[in-house]
Amino acid sequence: MSATALSPTATGLPVPPAPGRAVTGLAIRQIRRTGPIVAVLAAGMTALVAATYARVMADPAAAGSLAALAGNPAIRTLFGTPAGLDTAGGFTVWRVGTVTAVLLAAWSILATTRITRGEEDAGRWDVLLSGRIALRHTVVRHLAVVMLVPAATGCGITGVLLGAGTPLTGALVHGIGTGLLGLFFAAVAAFTAQVFATRAPATGSAVAVLGVSLLARMIGDGITELGWLRWLSPFGLLALSGPYVQDRAVPLLVLLAAVAVVAVAVPAAAGRREVRGGLIAAASGRRARLRLLGSVELFAIRRTLRPLTGWVLGVGAYFLLIGVTTVSVTEFLADNPVLANEAARAGFAGLGSVAGFVATLFAILAMPAGGFAAVRMAAFVSAETDRRMSLLAAAPVSRTRLLGVDLAATAAAAAVLVTVAGLATWAGVAAIGGDLPLVAALHGVWNILPIVLLSVGAAAFATGWAPGWVGVAGGLPATGGFLLLVIADSVAAPQWLRELSPFAHLAPVPLTGPDWAATAVMLGLAALLAGGGVAGYRRRDLRS
Amino acid sequence: MSVPALRAVELTKRYGRLTALDHLNLDVEPGEVFGFLGPNGAGKSTTIRLLLGLARPSAGHAEVFGTDAGDVTRAHASLAYVPADVALWPQLTGAEILHLQARTGRGTDTAYRDELIERFALDPSKPARTYSTGNRQKVALIAAFATRAPLLVLDEPTSGLDPLMEREFRTAVGSARDRGQTVFLSSHQLAEVEAVCDRVGILRAGRLAEVATIGRLRGLHRCEVTVSYTGTAPQLSAVPGIEAVESAGDGRLRFSLAGPPAPALLALAAADVTALAVREPSLEEIFLDYYGTETAR
Repeated sequence: MSATALSPTATGLPVPPAPGRAVTGLAIRQIRRTGPIVAVLAAGMTALVAATYARVMADPAAAGSLAALAGNPAIRTLFGTPAGLDTAGGFTVWRVGTVTAVLLAAWSILATTRITRGEEDAGRWDVLLSGRIALRHTVVRHLAVVMLVPAATGCGITGVLLGAGTPLTGALVHGIGTGLLGLFFAAVAAFTAQVFATRAPATGSAVAVLGVSLLARMIGDGITELGWLRWLSPFGLLALSGPYVQDRAVPLLVLLAAVAVVAVAVPAAAGRREVRGGLIAAASGRRARLRLLGSVELFAIRRTLRPLTGWVLGVGAYFLLIGVTTVSVTEFLADNPVLANEAARAGFAGLGSVAGFVATLFAILAMPAGGFAAVRMAAFVSAETDRRMSLLAAAPVSRTRLLGVDLAATAAAAAVLVTVAGLATWAGVAAIGGDLPLVAALHGVWNILPIVLLSVGAAAFATGWAPGWVGVAGGLPATGGFLLLVIADSVAAPQWLRELSPFAHLAPVPLTGPDWAATAVMLGLAALLAGGGVAGYRRRDLRS
Repeated sequence: MSVPALRAVELTKRYGRLTALDHLNLDVEPGEVFGFLGPNGAGKSTTIRLLLGLARPSAGHAEVFGTDAGDVTRAHASLAYVPADVALWPQLTGAEILHLQARTGRGTDTAYRDELIERFALDPSKPARTYSTGNRQKVALIAAFATRAPLLVLDEPTSGLDPLMEREFRTAVGSARDRGQTVFLSSHQLAEVEAVCDRVGILRAGRLAEVATIGRLRGLHRCEVTVSYTGTAPQLSAVPGIEAVESAGDGRLRFSLAGPPAPALLALAAADVTALAVREPSLEEIFLDYYGTETAR
C-alpha cells in the first residue's frame, strides 16, 4: 500500500461542529408545515369563539340555542360538563377546549411517530445514525422539536384569551393545560415508537392511550362515583383544572409530572434497543397463512380486517359505555324540563327519551366511521406511493377493479363498524334495563351510513384526482361537516353555511323516521364522487 | 409476420417541461431476449411504466402482443414484471406474497417455483419487512420466472443480487428463452446483458440511440488493433477511421479503428507487418462510447 492509513481520529478535514444541530434541523424540516398549521388553528379557533361571546349572549335566540347545545348529551360527552358559561373565558374553554386539545394531541402523536419510527422503519435513519449522533440523542432531539409545537400552541391560546380580555389566571391555566396535554401525547408516542419496531402499532397504541384518556374523562364526568378516574386522564386533569372557574394548579402539576416521567422513559427505552428494532422483538419467521390471498378482492378484505378489528374495539367500547349511561342521563334530562324545552326549541326534541338521546349520539358516530374510511383510502394511496401496489398493478387487473375492490371493502367495513356500534349501544341499554329495541338501534346507526359513504366517495375522488389530499378529503364530509355545524351554531352563522353540513340534513333516527330525500341526495353525491374518482384513477399515472 | 411481443410507436412521455421519453419506436420480437441499456435517468423505467400501462403516454402508444398497453386486463395477461426497486407488503411472508402473485397472475408452475426458491436460496417463511433488497428482488424474480407468461419485463432485476445469485438469474433467463418466453431486460450490468441478450437497445436522454444485435454493435464500434512490424513503422496518422495511435513497445503499434477497415489495411500493407491482433470492444466500451464524452444531448 502506498498511502499511509488514516488514523481513526485524523481525517485531514475540519470536523463540522455540533452535529446534533443538523439533526434538530432535519426534524424541524419535517414538521415545519403541519406544526404551525395546528398551532394557528388551535389559537385561531379559540380567538374566533372568544370574539363571538358577546354577540351570542346579546342575542336571546342564539343564547337559547347555546343552552340547548349545552344540554345536548352528545355535546356534553364530547366537550365535557359545561362550567362558567356566563364568562367569555369559561364559554370559550367549554366550546373549543376539548376540540383543540384532541387536535393537538392527535397531531403530536402522528407527527412524533412519523418523524421518528416512520423514518427509522423506512430505512432513512441508517445513514443518519452512521454519523456522529447516537440513536438516543436523535430520538430525543426529534421529540424536543415536536414538543415545540404544543408549547407554542399553549402560549398562543393564552395570548389570544388575554387579547380577548379574559382574566389572566384562567388564560394561563387553560393555555398551560392544553400545552401540557400536547407534550404528554408527544412523549407517549415517542415512547411507543421505542417499544414497537414499526410505525403502525406505535401510532395505534398511542392513539389508544388518547382514546382511553378521553373515555376516562367521559366516565368520570358522567358517573359521580367514578369521578376519580379523571385524575388518571390528561383530559380529566384538564377538566379538573377548571379554567376561569376553579383555576386549580394541582391537576396541572400532576400532568407536568406525568409528562416528565414519560419523557424521561423515552431515552431510557431508546438506549436499550437496536436501530430498526423495538423493545418488543418481531417474530423472525412463521408458517404461511394463505387464507384471503386468492384474489385482489380477498386480499382487500385481508388488508382491511386487522385495522377494522382495532376500530371496532374502540368504537364498540365507546358506544357500549354510551348505552350503559343512557338511562341515567335521559332520566336527568327528563327531570329538567327547562333544559329539555330549550333543547326542543333548538331542534333536539325528545332528549328525555332513550330513542332521542341515542339518535343524537349516533350522529357523532359518523365521525369515527368517516375517519376510518379516510384512513383506509389513505392506506391504499400510500401502498401505491411506496410501490407496494406495483406488483398487483402489473397483474391482469384493471384500474377500476383495483380501486373498486378497496372502495367496496372500505364501505363494507365501515358498515360493519357502525353496525357494531349499534349492537353495542343496544347491549348497553339492555344491560341496564332501558327501552331500546334492537331494530331501532340498527336503524339509528344505518341512518348515518350516507354520511360515511360521502366520506368514502370524497376519498375516492381525491384518490383519482389529488392523491396527496385523500386523508383530508375523506375526513371532510363527516368531521368537517360536524365541526361546521357546531361552529355555525356557536357563532350564529347564516343558514346556508349551516346547511352545507350533511349533519344539518340528518334525521334523528330512531326518534323519527329517516329523511329519505336527504339520504337519496347524499347517496347520489357519494356515487358521483366515487365514479369521478375511479375515472380519474383510470386515466392518471400511478405514483410509484 | 408475427405480432411483436412489445411495440412502441412514437411513444412519448412528458412531465411538465421535461421530456422523459421522446418518440420511441421499438419492436421486440417474440422469443428474443432484448437488452435495454441506458444510464440513470435515460428513461428506461419510464419506458417500462408506459409499456405496462402504469403511466399514460403523452403521445404515441405501446402494445403488448398487439393489445394496447392501456388495456391492462388483457395486456397483463401475457406478461410478468419485476420492478427496479421491489417493495412488498411488509406484514406478508415471502410464501404469502408468492401465493398472492400466483393467484392474481396468469397461472404459475408451482413445481418450478419451488425449484426457484431452492436455487435462489430464499427463506419464504420470513415477513417481507425483514428481507434485504436482494431478497425482495428474489421474491419478485421467482414470482415472474415461475409464471408461464409469454413476456417477462425485468427492470434492473439483479442490482441487489450477489454473483452466485446473478448466475442463477442467467440460468433462469436461459430456461425462459428455451421455453420460448420473450424477455425484456433493462439493465446496467453490461456483462449480464452481453451474456444473455440477443439484441440490445441503447437509450440516451429519452431517445433510442441504437438497436442492434451485440455482434453488429461491436462491428459498428471501435475495435483495438495491435500490429507488430519490422523496419519502418506504418504511416497511420492520416488514415480515415484510425485514432489514438500509440506505441505498444518495441516494433509494436496500437490504435483504435472505427468504420470499414479497408483504408487501414491498405496503409498496413505498405509496411512490413509481422503480426496483427484485433480485439473487439466489450459492451462496456461501446456503452462508454455512447455516453462517455456526451452525457447530455
